[in-house]
Amino acid sequence: MPKPQKSRAPAPPAKKGRLPSPATAAELLLEIGVEELPYQFIAPALAVLKDSAEQLFNDQRLAFQSTRTMGTPRRLTLVVEGLATQQTSMVKETMGPSKAVAFDQAGQPTRAATGFAAGQGVTIQELQVRRTPKGEYLFAVKQEEGRPAHVVLEALLPQLIAKLSFPKAMKWNSTGVRFARPVRWLVALYGGATLPIEAAGITAGNRTEGHRVLGSGKGIAVRDSESYLKGLERQGVIPDPQRRRHMIEEQIAILCKKTGFTLNVDGDLLDQAVYTTECPNAIIGSFKPAYLEVPQEILITSMKEHQGFFSLMHKETGKLVPHFIAVTNNRAKDMGLIREGNERVLAARLADAKFFFDEDRKVKLVDRVEKLTGIVFHQKAGTLYHKTLRIINLVTWLASKLGLNHDDQNACRQAAELSKTDLLSGIVGEFPTLQGIMGGYYAMHDGEPAKVSRAIRDQYLPRGMDERLPETMEGKILSLADRLDTIVAFFRAGITPRGSEDPYALRRHALSIVRIIIEGRLKLDLDEAIGTSINIAEKDVKSSPSMLDDPRRFIFERFRFYAGTLYIKRDDVMAAVCKTAYARTHLDLVDILERMKALESMTTRPEFDPLIVGFKRAHRLVEKEQWDRKPVDKARFEHPAESALYNAAEEERETMQSAMTRGEYGQALDALVRLKPAIDAFFAAVMVNAEDPAVRSNRLSLLQEVDDFFNSFADFSQIVVQGG
Amino acid sequence: MTFQNLILTLHHYWAEQGCVIHQPYDLEMGAGTFHPATFLRSLGPEPWRAAYSQPCRRPTDGRYGENPNRMQHYYQYQVVLKPAPDNIQALYLESLTQLGINPKQHDIRFIQDDWESPTLGAWGLGWEVRLDGMEITQFTYFQEIGGIELNPITVEITYGTERIAMYLQQVNNVFDLAWNDTVTYGDIHHETEVQFSTYNFEAGDVAMLMATFQSFEGECKRLLANRDKRLTLPAYEFCIKSSHLFNLLDARGAMSVAERTGYIARVRALARQCAERYIEERAAMGHPLLNRGTGHDGVKTARIRSKAVGRRS
Repeated sequence: MPKPQKSRAPAPPAKKGRLPSPATAAELLLEIGVEELPYQFIAPALAVLKDSAEQLFNDQRLAFQSTRTMGTPRRLTLVVEGLATQQTSMVKETMGPSKAVAFDQAGQPTRAATGFAAGQGVTIQELQVRRTPKGEYLFAVKQEEGRPAHVVLEALLPQLIAKLSFPKAMKWNSTGVRFARPVRWLVALYGGATLPIEAAGITAGNRTEGHRVLGSGKGIAVRDSESYLKGLERQGVIPDPQRRRHMIEEQIAILCKKTGFTLNVDGDLLDQAVYTTECPNAIIGSFKPAYLEVPQEILITSMKEHQGFFSLMHKETGKLVPHFIAVTNNRAKDMGLIREGNERVLAARLADAKFFFDEDRKVKLVDRVEKLTGIVFHQKAGTLYHKTLRIINLVTWLASKLGLNHDDQNACRQAAELSKTDLLSGIVGEFPTLQGIMGGYYAMHDGEPAKVSRAIRDQYLPRGMDERLPETMEGKILSLADRLDTIVAFFRAGITPRGSEDPYALRRHALSIVRIIIEGRLKLDLDEAIGTSINIAEKDVKSSPSMLDDPRRFIFERFRFYAGTLYIKRDDVMAAVCKTAYARTHLDLVDILERMKALESMTTRPEFDPLIVGFKRAHRLVEKEQWDRKPVDKARFEHPAESALYNAAEEERETMQSAMTRGEYGQALDALVRLKPAIDAFFAAVMVNAEDPAVRSNRLSLLQEVDDFFNSFADFSQIVVQGG
Repeated sequence: MTFQNLILTLHHYWAEQGCVIHQPYDLEMGAGTFHPATFLRSLGPEPWRAAYSQPCRRPTDGRYGENPNRMQHYYQYQVVLKPAPDNIQALYLESLTQLGINPKQHDIRFIQDDWESPTLGAWGLGWEVRLDGMEITQFTYFQEIGGIELNPITVEITYGTERIAMYLQQVNNVFDLAWNDTVTYGDIHHETEVQFSTYNFEAGDVAMLMATFQSFEGECKRLLANRDKRLTLPAYEFCIKSSHLFNLLDARGAMSVAERTGYIARVRALARQCAERYIEERAAMGHPLLNRGTGHDGVKTARIRSKAVGRRS
């Protein structure tokens, strides 16, 4: 309901010290009152609200001091401090027709001129003739006076609301407007006066709503952000998410201190608590200690995913304790009823989980393998049974390549065979995030060797860029094989990531492969591994004719991303080493990264840049010139600098090759650096394009040798240096 | 509060809000949404308010009466209001108060839960309502039914009657619920759970079920194809029956994943055609309920009451 309006301008006196000049600026408050929004939508919506408000104000020449937002499940709020009461004035110039077209021979305005003037809303006399680079043209010059802010805002704020879009939106009334959940009220105040804007069939007023049960239910009249915050707080609402976050953290800290437990910190849960409450109130509850017999991952996941509860750990042992913290949205006098209710629900949940866990263990994993034939991995890539067979083949190959002994190779094969069977268990059906972890427990229960159960447990690690790797070699091999097969199978089926679309998370799989190889320091030819995986997948997955992307390039791209993020700063160093490495028929990622690191540390040495200048001079010559390449003929040397370079190159080549075989890339590069004086002396003394063609060819061949020598390490022509 | 009193209280409350107190539909169905009072009435422009309890069959949820919370047969209490009133959340909270749940003493939360029924070609956005952590109600603003975009929007409130009763009676096993002062929920339904779980999982004749599905699907199509007579309502019954047969086949594990998707698509196709035909028929009849508002006691009363409960939700 719009309240009877006060006069809007000038703005009423603001509180002292809040606005620099009460006459020319005032505070804007906009609140969109809604039914409970999905909690993940709130923070992004507030960010958009702030950004688009600032953009709209700038576009509309409305100066402002600052903007901030607040939000709960039931409100999205924007506060703009020091918003100018008037738009900035502006001189607007529009170019019209040329003078020649605008006036006839008698100097009378043509229709082109009158039309332009009419279109611009000025008289012919007001038009100006100006000289431009194109000739003389007519201009309409208008002084656009700034309009009062409240007039602009009335048009602007509905646009601002309309600009909010959500991953999923709905209609609820006859306006057909879409929003994440129904909009039920609007507050729009500028300088204390109501802006009666309309959106979604609602007219804005100056009344907001308090907490659903802690509030009076009659609404709260507000004037500005200060009375808004105070009024809401009196009625049980803390609109600022940051404050709610601090409150929750503090409440949890107090509960932990009292009980001596440690919080199992979980950022997602904290966000959820912040954005599902208006009045957060953390309580502690308990469950039967008998449930602690169930693996704690299950209990923690059940508490988190079903109930949104925080779990607690014993301070010393770090083990789960039979208590939880729930963040409620009420401040009842007696929280006992709420605590008991939550405990009862959790008890039923845990009883379910325990039931599933007990049932699951009645069937051995090995007896579930056959059943995998009934689960489709992907329509075009066979069942999970097919995938299992492929993984068994691939781990067998990998384990032997990586030099595992006979027993460990067997452990890999066994782990691969059982790896997907936990997907048939009740617990994983209920909590998919526990895949692998449950397999590990069940394998242990079945009496499988520890190496097998650990590999199964860790097969989905690492889960992200910063997450840990599989602990054991068997786990690393299983993870590698599974992911490699997934990438190869999807690429063969023609399902590859495009832009931001990567529904099967193939990029993450590729990155994980890279991390396992690099951080596990696995001596592995990725080319051969991909080739083996393709051979294995050949009969299960028909190759799509549109298969343009190649898994090799795909994984290598992730490797460059990874190396660039963590190790290598210079793009040119990355490009130089990668270009040479990628051209080979052998991809050893560990080795490639070592080369990059060695080269990058070399670039900081003072002699590096001049060395590259010399190299590039040689490189350009051999690229540009035509000659008949033959082995260098020492007899044709005419100058000592030629033989000096030849000898230096011969000598250093041996040093370098031996350093390279040892993987001592720093030493290898030292050998290159030692060539520098000989290269410089050569160019100082010798004219490559000699008159005698045989001498010329011989010199070019010599330079080509030097060039090859450099390129055996990396494509140095990619290196960017001053003067190069 | 006994189980039967819970239903009677809701009847009484929603009747006061102008709802038609409908009766359960006399066919097996997976949810109260299948009832024509929801599925068909939410289509088209005519205003509609109804409330009813609906026995629901979910064959795969049967646990032979051994699980304290899961059954293959249970009761939903269903409320549909079209157009959705602005204060619907307040109306709902008031219904809880009527049941003896004082919102001030509890933590009542509206947690995002978007609803979708692939067999009905229907979806909507809303919440699951949680009472001190327990899900007690599904609250949905329908957006599409039978693949048809809705206007006006119907709001559907589905109470989990057993859960609420268990909460109120402080019992941990559904079969211990007092139906009235002398008879328990278990007295009435435990044996049903045992026998039907056995039938659903073990004894159902798959070949017969498949053949019957085919027959019912065929009958639905045949009725819809007959454009000379209005037969949409009988056709829709055969759609409901097909859906239940699909659920039985599912419980028998008689379909592969791909087949399952195929069956769902077949039922959805029937539901969509029924919805389309229903809209045409109501239009041809001139939307009889469209201008009933002012003279209609129920709707008028509802408006007044809605105001009394709270201006906004």
